[in-house]
Amino acid sequence: MEAFLPVGFLFIFALLLCIGLFTVKRLLGPRNPIASKLSVYECGVAPEGNARAPFKTHFYLIAVLFLLFDVEAAFFFPWALVYKESLAQGPALLIAMLVYMGFLVLGLVYIFRKDCLRLN
Amino acid sequence: MEWTDLIVIAVKTAIIYLGMVQVVPIMLIVERRGAAFIQDRPGPNRVGPFGLFQPIADVIKMMMKEVISPRQVNKALYLLGPFLVLLPASLIVAALPFGDFFTLFDKSYMIQIANLDVGILYVLAIGSLGIYGILFGGWASNNKFSLIGAMRATSQIISYEIPLGLAACGAVLSYGSFSLREMVMAQEGTLLGALPHWGIFYQPLGFLLFFIAAFAETNRLPFDLPETEAELVAGFHTEYGPMDFGTFFMAEYMNMATMSALMVSIYFGGWHLPWISDATLLEGLGSRNLLALLQVLTVIVKISFFMLVFVWVRWTIPRFRFDQLMRLAWKNLIPLGLINLVITALIFYFKGAI
Repeated sequence: MEAFLPVGFLFIFALLLCIGLFTVKRLLGPRNPIASKLSVYECGVAPEGNARAPFKTHFYLIAVLFLLFDVEAAFFFPWALVYKESLAQGPALLIAMLVYMGFLVLGLVYIFRKDCLRLN
Repeated sequence: MEWTDLIVIAVKTAIIYLGMVQVVPIMLIVERRGAAFIQDRPGPNRVGPFGLFQPIADVIKMMMKEVISPRQVNKALYLLGPFLVLLPASLIVAALPFGDFFTLFDKSYMIQIANLDVGILYVLAIGSLGIYGILFGGWASNNKFSLIGAMRATSQIISYEIPLGLAACGAVLSYGSFSLREMVMAQEGTLLGALPHWGIFYQPLGFLLFFIAAFAETNRLPFDLPETEAELVAGFHTEYGPMDFGTFFMAEYMNMATMSALMVSIYFGGWHLPWISDATLLEGLGSRNLLALLQVLTVIVKISFFMLVFVWVRWTIPRFRFDQLMRLAWKNLIPLGLINLVITALIFYFKGAI
């Protein structure tokens, strides 16, 4: 854990910078609020409704697919770390990875065929 | 660990961090003058010699402007937003190697904030936390442009995270280590007698993927869909005041600098000069600290080169459309990343570890 001690220092410095920026903003800037300054800025046109409206499920799908594929990609990391050392023990690790990647590619092809991301 | 060590480490951390923060004012002038140079106009040249004091003037202007937080916002998340982007951008700096060792009071210290065993995983993990700030800021602004900008930023950043991770995975495969420091150390000397022993020659496709994904991760121009000024006003920071905009801006430039530093350490030999090994240099210079200085300068020159590439690309290439951006990530980059992994693994299997 000692290796992470300097990260703690860095976190403190970064936090100090954030607090500094916040204080500077609070102290130096003038304040003269009027109603039109405080209203929504949507190109000067009077805003229609507010932004708490439903949005496309498309974005939700991207998030779900990201979760799947990023977790799958994360499983490659431990494999990549030990791969070179295990070369002497035959192709077991290579085959295991290819099988795993086969399933991943199958999933990817399924997404493209179903056109989940509206790519076409 | 003694208390002198603690002080040295704290001071070292502060110096490296402040050094990285200095990227922001420098890039402010470089970007604007660079844009002017490419578009054949003078650019900001009034404040100080060659307009060099322009960043100072800009910062003072930002500080002195009126603070407005609009009425419709969700106060807590709105105020938190910019800092949640800046904090992760600052924390990534911890894993970046800037040099080998320097000696002080007969003890040697790394020129790196922390030599983490999980280096590259740490970078990827902390790097993706920045999304929260953008999403909070955009949603809390309660403005349709901000919301759309934030949604675009999120889907873009998470989509390009996968090719970035796969490219990094290829690098881990060829170095057999997560630590950025060990990666740099493996890149000393020459390859095949003529080339510098750099990672790009082992992972050319991986570098290309990393390079493209780096632009998307930092919301830079061919992929700056979150803040397209022609359609979304300013994207997720439309409702923010000057200083908050400054904070987002700072985070963006620090992310650019860390991405450049990552490319340098993984693919371009980090602190090593091409062809020359550290032992020869140490013999020639005769002093450990002189060598450390040279190494830091090398890293700075390499990072500056990539920062210039960021500016150059920004003012040269037009913007993608959103569906083109998603298609590029999912249909081209992710399959290419997988192919890169398979090719690397097969080469290692048939040729033995290089």
